[in-house]
Amino acid sequence: MTQDNIPPYDADVIIVGCGPAGMTAAVELVQAGCSVIVLDMQPTPGGQIFRNLEANLRDSSPSGQTLLDALGPAYKAGAELIQRFRTFRGIDYRPQTTVWEVRPDGTVGWLQGINAGYVRGRQVLLAHGAMERPVPFPGWTLPGVMTAGAVQTLLKAGHLKPTGNVVLAGTGPLLLLLANQLHQLGIKPALIGRTDRFADALSGVSHLRPGGLLPLIKGLGWVARLKAAGVKSVTGLKDLAAHGHRKVEAISFTANGRQQTQACDLLIVHDGIVPSIDIPNSAGLRLQWDEANASWRPDTTFDGQTASSLPPELYAGRCVIRVTGDARRIGGADAAMAHGRLAAQSILADLGRGTGPCSKAVRSVRKSLSVRPFLDAVFPPGLSRALPENDTIVCRCEELTAGNLREKIRSGFRNMDALRGETRCGMGPCQGRSCMVTAARLLQEHTHATACPPTFRGRPPIRPIPLGAIANLSGLDPRATIRLTLEDKPEHGVEETVDVPAE
Amino acid sequence: MFRQNETALIIGAGLQGCSIALFLARAGWNVTLLDKNIAGRHASSVNAGGLRTLMRDWREYPLSELAMHHWKHLDQLVGQDAAASCEVRLGVGQIAVALDEAELSWTYNRAQDMKERGLGAEELLSAKDVRQMLPGLTDKALGGLVSRGDGHANPAASTRAFREAAIAAGAQIVENCRVLGLDRAPGGGWAIETSSGAYGTGVLINCAGAWGAQIAAMAGQTLPLKVVAPSMMVTARTQPFLEPVVIGIDRPLSFKQSAVGSLVIGGGILGKPCADHDTSFTVMDRMTQGAAATLEAFPGLAHVPVLRTWTGLEGSTPDGIPFIGPGKNTSDFWNVFGFCGHGFQLAPAVGHVVSRSLVSGKVDPLLTPFSCARFNTGGAG
Repeated sequence: MTQDNIPPYDADVIIVGCGPAGMTAAVELVQAGCSVIVLDMQPTPGGQIFRNLEANLRDSSPSGQTLLDALGPAYKAGAELIQRFRTFRGIDYRPQTTVWEVRPDGTVGWLQGINAGYVRGRQVLLAHGAMERPVPFPGWTLPGVMTAGAVQTLLKAGHLKPTGNVVLAGTGPLLLLLANQLHQLGIKPALIGRTDRFADALSGVSHLRPGGLLPLIKGLGWVARLKAAGVKSVTGLKDLAAHGHRKVEAISFTANGRQQTQACDLLIVHDGIVPSIDIPNSAGLRLQWDEANASWRPDTTFDGQTASSLPPELYAGRCVIRVTGDARRIGGADAAMAHGRLAAQSILADLGRGTGPCSKAVRSVRKSLSVRPFLDAVFPPGLSRALPENDTIVCRCEELTAGNLREKIRSGFRNMDALRGETRCGMGPCQGRSCMVTAARLLQEHTHATACPPTFRGRPPIRPIPLGAIANLSGLDPRATIRLTLEDKPEHGVEETVDVPAE
Repeated sequence: MFRQNETALIIGAGLQGCSIALFLARAGWNVTLLDKNIAGRHASSVNAGGLRTLMRDWREYPLSELAMHHWKHLDQLVGQDAAASCEVRLGVGQIAVALDEAELSWTYNRAQDMKERGLGAEELLSAKDVRQMLPGLTDKALGGLVSRGDGHANPAASTRAFREAAIAAGAQIVENCRVLGLDRAPGGGWAIETSSGAYGTGVLINCAGAWGAQIAAMAGQTLPLKVVAPSMMVTARTQPFLEPVVIGIDRPLSFKQSAVGSLVIGGGILGKPCADHDTSFTVMDRMTQGAAATLEAFPGLAHVPVLRTWTGLEGSTPDGIPFIGPGKNTSDFWNVFGFCGHGFQLAPAVGHVVSRSLVSGKVDPLLTPFSCARFNTGGAG
């Protein structure tokens, strides 16, 4: 193996994700003279929170203005950052690009249309964001059951508005925000069923920091406005189930000690958001379990530096991946921007272009994240708190119920990968994004283990890639492409023994 | 000479170990299987499940034909329900496709060679035949070889069926039990030190697969084995169009369509083995060759999305066929590993013939090509 075989770097830094954290970091890095590639699934910059903002700001029609007003100042606040991001020509921005593999050495697999390949960065910053906590409950796979994030996506990018009996169920700021946005768009929800209770709000007060006052006031305002509008609301909702034949027609739940039903055309569920771990997990990064949030998150230092959990014989070199924004710690847009700046300053120091994070950046991260303990206490996981009953589907790709998994776990499959191999749980198109946390909790329910629950081993590709794109992958590592195959073709007349020592 | 009190201890409860255990237990032996993980955790359950005599090394052919007989009558080995769960599909055929002149001439030579040896049910296919049998195959295909009786089975279910049948026959399986050391027991037989206590046995059988050479080394034997990680790709479900299993000759091509429509693409592309950590990793940089070979044969599949890849650990010998037989000067220590990625189909015959050898006290002539003495790498028991 010669030095020449080592593939060159395509950029100083590769950023995965173009939301508030990714954009902030990209601007910071390119201003300091770094070459930066930004890979993002969406067609325009903004991430989930500022999705389609540029186009919506340009839309001067009355309905466009109504939408902007309903989405509120927090949405429009992204305009300046997006504009700054667009200004820097030095940023190699690649929209509509899916990342399907990340390696600790800075190699990133990408797919754009029918083309795919690898790019390499001296440093990689994962700013791929969060996902809504998966919540399996009876009937959750029925058409007409959606998550709050999905409804927001349809509002922002598709300008689609729900009709009929709309019910929101679950917990978290996003649920209340969405209910208000819908109300402002003239859609009065038939019911808001919160799993959290007033008592939770009281217990949260002990965590309240000055930084939390504003969100608290904002949240109370949402609740008050919905109440004033006469939106029916319950708290302490439990035992949610969706019913219907071809689509959801009604829901049932328990609240205030009695079973209730509600006609429903669209059930919007939301149980808080958690860091997306598909990329960190498949990259073999060390994860930790966040007990309060019943979710994994990457094990990182304050500035986002990760550590590889892979055996050294696989990746002996330094792990050059950092994680920032909601992909690291749920904190929302402001916290993501603050941390994106901090992570960028740390990267600059690693690249020999700076002295590390300034104290202002550090303070800003601390302040923006200080509200989280309060929000975690007020909005604890609700719909997903109790593990699903046996007949509830856990893995929707392979249509496996909690009962299917429990049976296999009881019969001896006590390891996530063995369980996956046996049941096919997590083998479908979602590659475990939706079912993995429930499968892991079901396993722990049986083993009573208390450590960080194990995950499925993530293998590339974590997102589907067309066969034709794989056949033409660019940017291959010549050291890895040495053709190594087990031959099916037997040699003719091999009659003498061969004396070859094992490698 | 090696009927040591008719007790056998098998290290490795994969398909080969379970098959040997099944036959020995049925012969009245007292059999214990040890596995460092759970039975069938590795190559046995995660291979492609090919039931193939096509293009098999002639030295394996007689064993392979005996195995095919057992697969055909699997209910007699593992019971009716378990046999049904194995999804054995014989008769769909396996076809080797020749995409260039060199491959075509290889098929002619192969057919001639097998004919001279009086082996096999492989038929030469013309360009027209092969295109007719494989819808979507490139116009460039020049011909091929078919073995019409071949097919496939579900590897995980098959491994489970053999395991359950071995237990039903009286074999004992100890899982999560790692062998730490092997020693001659005073007065004959073997003493095995494990992570869950000490075991003794008359005959010791090393079915440790990718870890086979490590176990052999504990018995003082050096056998050449390379640990490899054959890997595969699985696509989204597509319209069913293909029944036979397709394999390449010089190209890293091997694929079949599953019952639900997804394409399972192998071809022997190797990932990175990590045997010390009981795991392995796929390397997409290499998968590109398997994808290219697949599209060269079936150009219409370029748009089909690959959903996932997987890999497992296997042991590979320098001459491409396994070790099956007693170690050098150790008639009571057998090595049965190094199947080089094509041991799944052989397993019922391996169990049958190894058991027959141990019970009769004579190494069966079918096993002659697999002698552990064929590599002169020294070491004595």
